[in-house]
Amino acid sequence: MTPKIRLHNVSKSFAVGARSIRTLQNVDLSLKGGDFVTLVGPSGCGKSTLFNILVGLTAPDPGGELFIDGVLQPVDHLLGRVAFMPQRDMLMPWRTVLDNAILAAEIDGVPKAEARRRTLASLDRFGLRGFENHYPDQLSGGMRQRVALMRTFMFERDIMLLDEPFGALDALTRALMQRWLLEVWEGAKRTVLFITHDIDEAIFLGDRVLVMSARPGHIKAELQVPLPRPREPDVLTSPAFVDLKRTLLAAVEDESRKAFAATNLQQLQPGEF
Amino acid sequence: MATRGATLIRGLKKAATQVTALVALMLAWEAATVLFHISEDKLPALSSVLATAWTGRAALAGAVGTTLFEALIGLFAGIAFGVLSGIAFSSSRLLERMLLPYFIASQAVPIIAFGAIIIIWFGNGVASKAVIAFYLSFFPVAVNTLGGIRRVSKDEIGLLRTFGASRLKILWKLQLPTALPPIFTAIRIGAGLALVGAIVGEWFGASRGLGVVLLTAMFDNQVTQLWAAILATGATGTALFWAVVALQKKIAWWQTEV
Repeated sequence: MTPKIRLHNVSKSFAVGARSIRTLQNVDLSLKGGDFVTLVGPSGCGKSTLFNILVGLTAPDPGGELFIDGVLQPVDHLLGRVAFMPQRDMLMPWRTVLDNAILAAEIDGVPKAEARRRTLASLDRFGLRGFENHYPDQLSGGMRQRVALMRTFMFERDIMLLDEPFGALDALTRALMQRWLLEVWEGAKRTVLFITHDIDEAIFLGDRVLVMSARPGHIKAELQVPLPRPREPDVLTSPAFVDLKRTLLAAVEDESRKAFAATNLQQLQPGEF
Repeated sequence: MATRGATLIRGLKKAATQVTALVALMLAWEAATVLFHISEDKLPALSSVLATAWTGRAALAGAVGTTLFEALIGLFAGIAFGVLSGIAFSSSRLLERMLLPYFIASQAVPIIAFGAIIIIWFGNGVASKAVIAFYLSFFPVAVNTLGGIRRVSKDEIGLLRTFGASRLKILWKLQLPTALPPIFTAIRIGAGLALVGAIVGEWFGASRGLGVVLLTAMFDNQVTQLWAAILATGATGTALFWAVVALQKKIAWWQTEV
């Protein structure tokens, strides 16, 4: 089966003064249609650079290739192909919940009335019924993230990139949001690549977990998560989960130590904002 | 409903405080003229100023109308030009480097220096006053438009680009709305300046308007008349300011992150 999205030999260097700093080195990864893959790695490993390349905001160094449905994508054709949700919700304070949720679809050219109608029909699924006319500053952090996720889902693309969407939430809200995200994803069957710092989250959500190395980042390890779906909270304490976590922690900690040593030597982290 | 009632009560309290302060000020004026035997030539009693204003209300209202009209035309032109040049500067560093220094220099030259020339160029009517009002009001609008657009982060622009947004859509749906609150702040300043501009313009040559009333009263040594015109000018400026504030609350009520 042709992978939904495939990266081959993607590297990225940034010029910092006279020096060149390599943030990504020969990244290879591929996601099948409908996959939910999570990506963990130490801070500064180039995860954001990788995402910027996947959404078309940054060009990889020559030689790197990116395929969608088996078709090689020129860099300048990627914008608008992938639904991206950044770490910060970046909701517009002057738009209501409803109008924030339709933003991507609206820019994509869907008529406003049509986009609103579609979004209104999905309010229940996103737990926002009754809040459609509220403004972002009237919402809790968890609700704001749901609006941002809704905006990402309403931008109907096969591939979704979620960059630590729950990073700023408290543990309880985060657990609720994870289960809720899986429900929404199982209903919509999109291909998801999900960045996180949280190992539990990576295992709980993913079909596979990718571990990125310290800079220059590459995919250092890959772990299948054979836990059955739909996943219930009690899976978090199952022996299978704990085994996976042990393996993963060992791999990640190794890289975090390297990254920590490296950042102590020099603080520059180009591409990671 | 409870919150609406609370808001109303808060609003009334605020209004009551302001009215009290105004009344106190008016009483102080009136009392001072009597207690300290201030001569009519310096500061006439408030009551006689108000009486004079009331007698001449038609002429005064006409003058306010004329000056306000000149100021508003200049202000609208200033807003349009200010916003457009702010957008232009934000989209081209080259343009900003080439032209912004001249924008700044233009404001360093007191408009009074140009007054006579502007009357020669634009005549004795509304146009010359509107030009001066424009000249004074476009600058803060241009600067705040530029600053407001620059508040938009690279990440926010990046997000819209991933949705496939063109530059025009980024401007229209993200940058201008972000800049709108600071633009309104500039309009508040610009409105006051436009009024000053219109009055100064009238001093250089005009047959109608607040500037004319002020000048005539001064030359005729009609001090009470002069004070009446001053009060009318102050009231016009205040009304203009609050009109802009009300508009801002309606149109650009949100806070954008700095």
